[in-house]
Amino acid sequence: MIPRFAHRRPRSLADAFAAFDAAGGDCAWYAGGTELLAVMKMGFAQFGTLIDLKSVPELGGISADADGALRIGATVTHREIERSPHVLRHLPGLAALEREVANIRVRNTGTLGGNLAFAEPHSDPATFLLACDARVELAGPAGAREMAIDELIVGPLTTSREADELLVAIRVPAPAAGEGRAYAKLAFFERPAASVGVRVRVVDGAIADATVAVGSLTDLPIVLPAAGAALAGLPAEPAALDAGLGAAIAVLGEIDAIPDHNGSADYKRHLAGILLGRAVTQAVEEARAHA
Amino acid sequence: MRETVEISLQVNERAQSLRIEPRETLADVLRDRLGLTGTKVSCDAQVCGACTVLVDGRTVSACTFLAVDADGGAVRTVEGLARDGVLTPLQQAFIDEAAFQCGFCTPGMLMAATALLEENPHPTEDEVKEGLDGNLCRCTGYAPIVAAVLRAAEAGR
Amino acid sequence: MKRVIERGPAPEPIGISVPRRDGIEKVTGAASFTTDLTLPGLAHARLLRSPYAHARIRSIDAEAARRHPGVIAVVTAADLPGVQLEYGHAVADHPLIATGKVRFAGEVVVGVVAEDAATADEALRLIEVDYDPLPYATTVEEALAPGAPVLHEKAGRQGAHRGFEEDITRDHPNVCSTFRQAWGEIEDAFTGAHLVLEGTWHYPMCYAFAMEPYTSVAEWKDGELTVWSSAQHPYMVRDDLAHVFHLPLSAVRVIVPYVGGGYGSKSYTKIEPLTAALALKAGRPVRLALNVDDAILTTRGDGATVQLRSAFDRDGRLLGRQATVRLDSGAYAENSPLVGRKAANRLGGPYRIPALEVTCQVVYTNTAPASSFRGFGAPQVVFAAESQMDEAAEALGLDPLEIRRRNLVERGERPWPKVRGLDAKLADDLALAAAELDWSTPPAPGVGRAVCVSASDAGSEPVTTATLRVHPDGSVTVLCGSTEIGQGSATALAQIAAGEMGVPLEKVRLVQSDTAAVTYDRSTGASRTTTLMGLAIRNAARDVKAQLLEWARESWAGEDAPEPVLEHAGIRVGDRLAGWGEVVRAWFAGDYGEAIGRGYLRKAGETAEMPPFWEVGCVGVEVRVDESTGEIHVEKLVTIGDVGCAVNPQLAEAQDVGAAIMGLGMAMREELIYEDGNLVNGNLYDYRVPRFTDLPELRTVLVERGDGVGVYGAKGGGEGALNPVASAIANAVRRATGARLREAPFTPERVWEALRERDAANGR
Repeated sequence: MIPRFAHRRPRSLADAFAAFDAAGGDCAWYAGGTELLAVMKMGFAQFGTLIDLKSVPELGGISADADGALRIGATVTHREIERSPHVLRHLPGLAALEREVANIRVRNTGTLGGNLAFAEPHSDPATFLLACDARVELAGPAGAREMAIDELIVGPLTTSREADELLVAIRVPAPAAGEGRAYAKLAFFERPAASVGVRVRVVDGAIADATVAVGSLTDLPIVLPAAGAALAGLPAEPAALDAGLGAAIAVLGEIDAIPDHNGSADYKRHLAGILLGRAVTQAVEEARAHA
Repeated sequence: MRETVEISLQVNERAQSLRIEPRETLADVLRDRLGLTGTKVSCDAQVCGACTVLVDGRTVSACTFLAVDADGGAVRTVEGLARDGVLTPLQQAFIDEAAFQCGFCTPGMLMAATALLEENPHPTEDEVKEGLDGNLCRCTGYAPIVAAVLRAAEAGR
Repeated sequence: MKRVIERGPAPEPIGISVPRRDGIEKVTGAASFTTDLTLPGLAHARLLRSPYAHARIRSIDAEAARRHPGVIAVVTAADLPGVQLEYGHAVADHPLIATGKVRFAGEVVVGVVAEDAATADEALRLIEVDYDPLPYATTVEEALAPGAPVLHEKAGRQGAHRGFEEDITRDHPNVCSTFRQAWGEIEDAFTGAHLVLEGTWHYPMCYAFAMEPYTSVAEWKDGELTVWSSAQHPYMVRDDLAHVFHLPLSAVRVIVPYVGGGYGSKSYTKIEPLTAALALKAGRPVRLALNVDDAILTTRGDGATVQLRSAFDRDGRLLGRQATVRLDSGAYAENSPLVGRKAANRLGGPYRIPALEVTCQVVYTNTAPASSFRGFGAPQVVFAAESQMDEAAEALGLDPLEIRRRNLVERGERPWPKVRGLDAKLADDLALAAAELDWSTPPAPGVGRAVCVSASDAGSEPVTTATLRVHPDGSVTVLCGSTEIGQGSATALAQIAAGEMGVPLEKVRLVQSDTAAVTYDRSTGASRTTTLMGLAIRNAARDVKAQLLEWARESWAGEDAPEPVLEHAGIRVGDRLAGWGEVVRAWFAGDYGEAIGRGYLRKAGETAEMPPFWEVGCVGVEVRVDESTGEIHVEKLVTIGDVGCAVNPQLAEAQDVGAAIMGLGMAMREELIYEDGNLVNGNLYDYRVPRFTDLPELRTVLVERGDGVGVYGAKGGGEGALNPVASAIANAVRRATGARLREAPFTPERVWEALRERDAANGR
């Protein structure tokens, strides 16, 4: 049973902040509710008021600029992202990832902003967007600010968002020339066992620089600069890549992974290594297309 | 403090106006206020799909979807599929293929499959499996449900 | 679906895939389950559960909850004087609400009844329970360790069901029951053996996930009790309720609407006594509807450790088998003592074993209680037994099919002394499964195949009645205590009645599962309904026909009247066939009245020998293993549904497929996990059941050789295809990779570990 609460549906950002103020802080922002209502139902959280953000126009919509930089409104649903022509064109890895999030009903109602703000350690979008150097726009009564994903998500179920702030949009930079971005995960149960997001930039047939983010191994998604560095210089050819991944995989092997129902820390690190290979191969392929 | 709100919605093409508490889920309202008990609640956690209904054409888990979010919308439930006692091709195919046993997942399964076929009238077998993967059935082993959806798609050709 | 038919003809509609009779209701949302029921004045109950695995209850302060607006009653054990709190099937050790202590995390401590469920929920939060935590044991090893915490300080009373007196041992205070099955000279068998294999297998605690969680509604009127419940066995629930509340059986009425899945998990009594107790205190009808998280804490399947040792001669013939089986029965006995018996019996199974000695211990642990679950001991032990058969084949250089052929009992041969001879040709079934897998063509590298078999002493006890009413228009009403839990009993039993009476199916109405309206049936489980209720209905049809023949004689007697002759669909009087309705009308001399047929079935005559029938299982799989991740992909799954006579082939096939996919889930992912005294994956996020995308290519062959005890040779199905699945997958993985899996479920990590062990053994 969801504990009783009052419901507000502001029609603008200003109204939303006013509703927050009126509730005296005993309130939560609410959009898809796929996470929030679930924890309320389990008795882990109770709020006097839920402020529904779905009718705030500033928080919706997906746009892309001429270069392919994306701006995704915080209340855009997973399902909208997976079918968005902009996303399919400029960041197909995100569309593919979104198609695998939970189930179609959750994707129909759950939002990207809600997913990031909830900071669930297994979040697929958070892991991939981290690798893509995405940034989030926040707004609060005191004004707007912008930050990187790893500045937003600072711990399990913990963000640096102030209580009266809300996520407005997620910005993903346009792919540079020769850049490819891909995501790979393995899920044997509802939550992923391991996931890896990779960004590579290929110059003259070799990886010039790369970002590697790993999800579901630790209690928040992490970027591993040493793994990205270990990919630099590898020839962008499938056979050579397979042979040359050892150093980057070794970096993943150092992660202080948390065992869970999927398996031991060892096994999860092993899976991350496999996924790194899959994601790099795919990212390089995409990079070729952008060459 | 017990706040109530007024909502107006179409349920199976019939207008309904109700005063409800914001915490009431769409499943609560359908089952307890409107007597539409065809929609079932099983896992109560958006995993099993037994409570699948359509809101403005989209499938949602009625167990974790606030009824206030259906305000102004059009809801379709299993009770709205057959018209004047005539089953839809999908319902008929479920009977022909024995695509249910206990029948508890069936209302949600039918709604999920209805949405699938409205979006993709002629799915492949893999598209059916992918499309319905979020709906659980513990009795049939799924094979007869896949057969029923493909049969309904064929009937719609 | 393929069919192999080697049986005599059966009268239509027996043997025809008529559409399910519950079809239109179930596809339109009209089908009514217990959860859909409302009554005037209905109040709603919610439960407070223990957070501790094992604790004394020092005190319960529920005053604030009692005063909460909208609360009708707050009930603890102390509020129920005069109620016999403990009930149980084998041992009456299960209090309907905690009395003095809790024995698992999740045990019900307080019930609150309120005007609505949300109010009851609010009141729960106002209750303070002071616990004195005790040491706990959540595994069998912990429970049997020296100095282990004792769950039950005193032995439970004899349960509702007799026959377990000898099994209920107290050789260790945490052993609930011990059953020993033995025959032959076991020492000699091992002394003279060419090959002795030994191993230990682990099978997990599983959750049935019937999609309708347990739900009951109870109403008291004038000292009589009516309970609507999602129960498989309404008559057993009636018996327990009568006992708990000291009522005559006739004062308890249990009604079972459609049941949203059972698979054994709704066998026996669950929440009905508690619901009735809450209604008694509330003075109102009460609805108690659990959710899935609660249901997982109500009943689960027994986890098992099977230590198995087998002796073979040089030709691969079994000489002896010795086993110790330990079942993790949880905090209360429930039906685990019977599961233990069946587990022991099912290690004998389809093979000719000259000497056998199996000891099965049912052990109390501080976990949710275990009880019946589809397969009933067989999945646990068949995993070990059929794995070891493949190990023997490998050690002896034999084809896995061949070693089985050499050991299978023949049809008619008794698997062990004093039981019914096997009623199946398992060697032929094995060949059918092998053919579906293309056994003679070697699989691609990295692909493995296996075929496994099982035989379960099924059917429970043949104690069943049916009533068949013939109306003056010739239509028929059948009253029976069998429950429609999705298996299709409403359809198949009506087909049997129509076939036996020679009337069109549309003229048969079946009324089920209301203890005040229909006659006794022991249970709906153990794959017994089509076979045993089918026989009771046949007997009722014979009985009513005999009466109608007598009535025809009386009605149409005369000097030169022809002698009436009984025919399939009526009574021949001279050159005229009088329908059943006409005979009724003639006897009552008007367009009214009815004839009542009585069908009895007991342990006598054709059902004197136990088991009433064997339920055999024969499953083949083809798997591919991703060695990098340890993922097993089951690509093909073959089931041989050897059901004697498929009364409704489509529904018989459906039982086989459903059982096999449930077996797949249990083999691949399903497992309840306890950590620090708590169930940590007690929800559907973390407890993963099969989904659409897990579906392999399926092939089912229905085999009808008319060799069962039921009508036209029918025998039960619905569990057989589950039992061998885990062993088949493990054996196929072995053949694909060389890795041996002895612990289910085969999560990718376990497979990966087994592959690393293989590599270590190979010096890689």
